[in-house]
Amino acid sequence: MTTPAGIDPRGPRFAATITAVLLLVATFLALVGISTTPSGPASFGWFAYQPLANATYTPTGWAISSAPLGQRALDPGFLLTVVIALLFLWGVVSPRTAPWSALFRTLVRPRLAPPTELEDPRPPRFSQGVGLFVVGVGLVLHLAGVPWALPIATAAAFIAAFLNAAFAFCLGCQLYLLLQRIGLIGRTAPAA
Amino acid sequence: MSPALALGVAAALLALATVVGLVLRRRDGRRRDGGTLRFDPADAAEELGSRATLVQFSTEMCARCPQVRRLLRAYASDHDDLRHIEVDLTHRPDLSARYKVLQTPTTFLVDGSGAVRARFHGVPHRHALTEAVAAV
Repeated sequence: MTTPAGIDPRGPRFAATITAVLLLVATFLALVGISTTPSGPASFGWFAYQPLANATYTPTGWAISSAPLGQRALDPGFLLTVVIALLFLWGVVSPRTAPWSALFRTLVRPRLAPPTELEDPRPPRFSQGVGLFVVGVGLVLHLAGVPWALPIATAAAFIAAFLNAAFAFCLGCQLYLLLQRIGLIGRTAPAA
Repeated sequence: MSPALALGVAAALLALATVVGLVLRRRDGRRRDGGTLRFDPADAAEELGSRATLVQFSTEMCARCPQVRRLLRAYASDHDDLRHIEVDLTHRPDLSARYKVLQTPTTFLVDGSGAVRARFHGVPHRHALTEAVAAV
């Protein structure tokens, strides 16, 4: 695999800034939504009504476990996180046409001085995949009724996006060697 | 969760992320102990410098490696007894395991006998390099 053409390193950081803001908002929405809501009052009375005499009520449960799938899916935090996941997916599949990348090229970059250095586009693209995986796990667990899964997943993705935006810290670059050791990527040299 | 509490949690998350970023920035480029590692020049198919060698570990997709390459090359050319060699870890997980390299760029300062005297993760600070070379 030959090295692809370099990209302006400020593009991925611009995208990471917008993504970090979206993820922080999604975390807030997830925290006030159904993911963190404890169960409401029992739906049956406390009288000695024989058919319900053996029914038990666990006040320490979570509302999401007993909520129908539609209610879980209509949670505002969930909906915003789905949008964010689709943006990550777009960034993995076609980075050049992804919204923030296109926005950077048309609106921001003409106003900046030319870049002093170009970077390989593959690590940022890999980082989009990492973000997709993390929020994807949160979305699936949320639909499965696991409480707190969604805000924890969006918070983790937020930290990675924020570190990239504010400190130019590339989590994907850090993970590469680790994943290589585990054997998931890059072990064999490609045929020249 | 009440919106006020959620807002507080979000603010705490932002603060936590900022602290993590500042800690990582501080640790980046500092001189660290080389431990008991020894560098084998056969791994780079090059010879060691007479006094010391700056061994840079890179991968194909490392954003900051070109910058470190230029820095170390310029630094080594200023000193006659220093050499700069580069090792590509992209397809060599055995080397990254042997030398305990977890991120790129990582730079070793290796003395004439092959002992690793110092290591730097990220872009090395110039003053930290000078101190480490002086200690060899």
